[in-house]
Amino acid sequence: MKHSTPTTTVAPVLSVEGLSRDFNIPVPFLRRLVPGRPRPVFRAVTDVSFEIPRGQTYALVGESGSGKSTIARMVVGLTRPTAGVVRIAGHDLFAPDARDTRQAMRRRIQMVFQDPQASLNPRWRVEAIVGEPIRAFGLASGRALAARVAGHLETVGLSAADARKYPHEFSGGQRQRIAIARALASEPEFIVCDEPTSALDVSVQAQVLNLLRTLQSDLGLTYLFISHDLAVVRHMAQRVGVLQRGILVEEADTKTFFAGPKAEYSQMLLSAVPKIRKGTDE
Amino acid sequence: MTDLLTLTDLVVDIPHRRGTLRAIDGVSLSIARGEVLGLVGESGAGKSMIGNAVIGLLARPAHVAGGEIWLGDRRIDRLAPHQMRQLRGRRIGMIFQDPQTSLNPLMRIGDQLVETIRLHRPMPAASARTEAIRLLDEVGIPAPEERMAYWPHQFSGGQRQRIVIALALAGEPELIIADEPTTALDVSVQAQIIRLLKRLCADRGVAVMLITHDMGVIAETADRVCVLYAGRVAETGPVTEVLSRPRHPYTVGLMDAIPSLDPARGEPGVATLRQIPGAMPSIAARPSGCAFHPRCASATPDCARVRPDPRPAGRSEVACPVCAPTHEDAAS
Ligand SMILES: Nc1ncnc2c1ncn2[C@@H]1O[C@H](COP(=O)(O)OP(=O)(O)OP(=O)(O)O)[C@@H](O)[C@H]1O
Ligand SMILES: Nc1ncnc2c1ncn2[C@@H]1O[C@H](COP(=O)(O)OP(=O)(O)OP(=O)(O)O)[C@@H](O)[C@H]1O
Ligand SMILES: [Mg+2]
Ligand SMILES: [Mg+2]
Repeated sequence: MKHSTPTTTVAPVLSVEGLSRDFNIPVPFLRRLVPGRPRPVFRAVTDVSFEIPRGQTYALVGESGSGKSTIARMVVGLTRPTAGVVRIAGHDLFAPDARDTRQAMRRRIQMVFQDPQASLNPRWRVEAIVGEPIRAFGLASGRALAARVAGHLETVGLSAADARKYPHEFSGGQRQRIAIARALASEPEFIVCDEPTSALDVSVQAQVLNLLRTLQSDLGLTYLFISHDLAVVRHMAQRVGVLQRGILVEEADTKTFFAGPKAEYSQMLLSAVPKIRKGTDE
Repeated sequence: MTDLLTLTDLVVDIPHRRGTLRAIDGVSLSIARGEVLGLVGESGAGKSMIGNAVIGLLARPAHVAGGEIWLGDRRIDRLAPHQMRQLRGRRIGMIFQDPQTSLNPLMRIGDQLVETIRLHRPMPAASARTEAIRLLDEVGIPAPEERMAYWPHQFSGGQRQRIVIALALAGEPELIIADEPTTALDVSVQAQIIRLLKRLCADRGVAVMLITHDMGVIAETADRVCVLYAGRVAETGPVTEVLSRPRHPYTVGLMDAIPSLDPARGEPGVATLRQIPGAMPSIAARPSGCAFHPRCASATPDCARVRPDPRPAGRSEVACPVCAPTHEDAAS
């Protein structure tokens, strides 16, 4: 891999500093006619800072609407921050002259979206969906490309024969796995996973989580991991950040966090996990 | 309690380039008024297909090829499309796995709710608006009055999912089919939705088919569970029974694969989750006999030949002659 600056070896894979994002609030038609009033805005993310060192997993947790996906989209360059800086391996992703940086980063950063539908073109066969990043980045072509697609599908628990099918021929969880296979296809170094396994049953979830962990230890991948499932977070992450109404209210190592979360909101999150009473103990 | 929904020997076929694939292969189940039935099973087991068959929205070319579906004393698997449309929304509310399916991206959500409410329950626009705000509040959307003016894309994933739930409740249906209704929700909102569903069951006698892969949600919500494997019922019974004493080897495997917050189950960020070996067979290549036998540690040579039907075992019914022999097993 060629890097343009020497800082890359020491800089964390991701560092965000003072990140904020405002959204315009829709107002009913009549109220919009009132003159002289500024358009109201809603601050979805407020002054968030954190870092992820290479090879580590950072989990963002927090209630629905707390700003997790908004942060994820800023980190991969899809949404422009209102304020703050996103650095990938030391490069400012939104610097005025950063178009080339964003281009160069595209292969190295991938995102698994919360809504798999969003990343699957319904008119493409699976082979095209998973093969597109491989072709676009010139990683393989022809037979080698087909073999890679088959390999990625098998990695996520689908079969090589599924390459010929269209997304609608799959169940919800199978579609999510196609999205994960696509994210793996460009062999990224940093993957943002927005609820990657929430549509998956426990058995496939175990398979996908174990896979993400294996890839991490084999290839040194770095993850930003968004999940509302604290058991999954505990299993995956080294560090946890808790988001409440766009503000990072707590940040701690996973062990410390689960041993005794400090913020009241974190304690509430932990106590609300549905419990299963099993007769057979382990 | 009387059964509101009854499926007997439901078969769903998908005609294909070469031959026909059998997605659902003889499933029988029932849900009483006021009851929550949890439908669980691995991805691809056929959970969504069963839900879609009940509301008559199977994606072509999939279709009901056998068996019967009854809503109360009315058989509904043979209804004409316009008759089915009348049931949908009014008597049966559907929460789809993918929120995008139910939301119109070009309509403010307030308008969508008001329209749906008035379609099923004629009332003045102002009352429908009040009702819409109440529904949004009930599913935990903050500042519901302001949010009426939002477009779907302006909500977070979990908020969209809750709006879909509000839409499904708008017609005050008797039966709610909820396909993964809480997957994108954090635990506090999830708990709120679970309470809401349970209250609808208790107060209005609504029956709920809860499709989910989350055993925690099943444990908190369902009265009975039906475990599906490769288009067939593996095990069904009261939730306490099935979760505390899973009998079918597949159910046992599912329970073991759940990540846990319990410190006794390994160091955080270190332990590997237990997996059921292998994967659910694709519907084009289902094994003979018991479809689970290639992945099953207790399989006998018979398992590859004889297709087991559910039989009583304790308070459950289990489709496994090895784990649930015909005699009652009283001891553990
Ligand atoms: N385009 C937009 N316009 C207005 N508000 C928006 C827009 N996008 C997001 N929001 C608001 O920003 C807040 C944060 O949204 P975000 O999608 O980041 O939440 P989240 O933490 O990912 O939640 P979830 O767990 O439900 O997916 C929400 O209240 C949402 O309504
Ligand atoms: N048009 C089709 N052609 C071929 N196979 C199909 C088609 N539609 C669905 N299937 C298959 O039918 C099976 C059942 O799908 P279904 O959507 O019911 O699964 P599910 O149990 O809801 O899974 P999930 O938990 O992933 O949502 C899957 O294996 C799917 O691949
Ligand atoms: Mg989100
Ligand atoms: Mg499904």
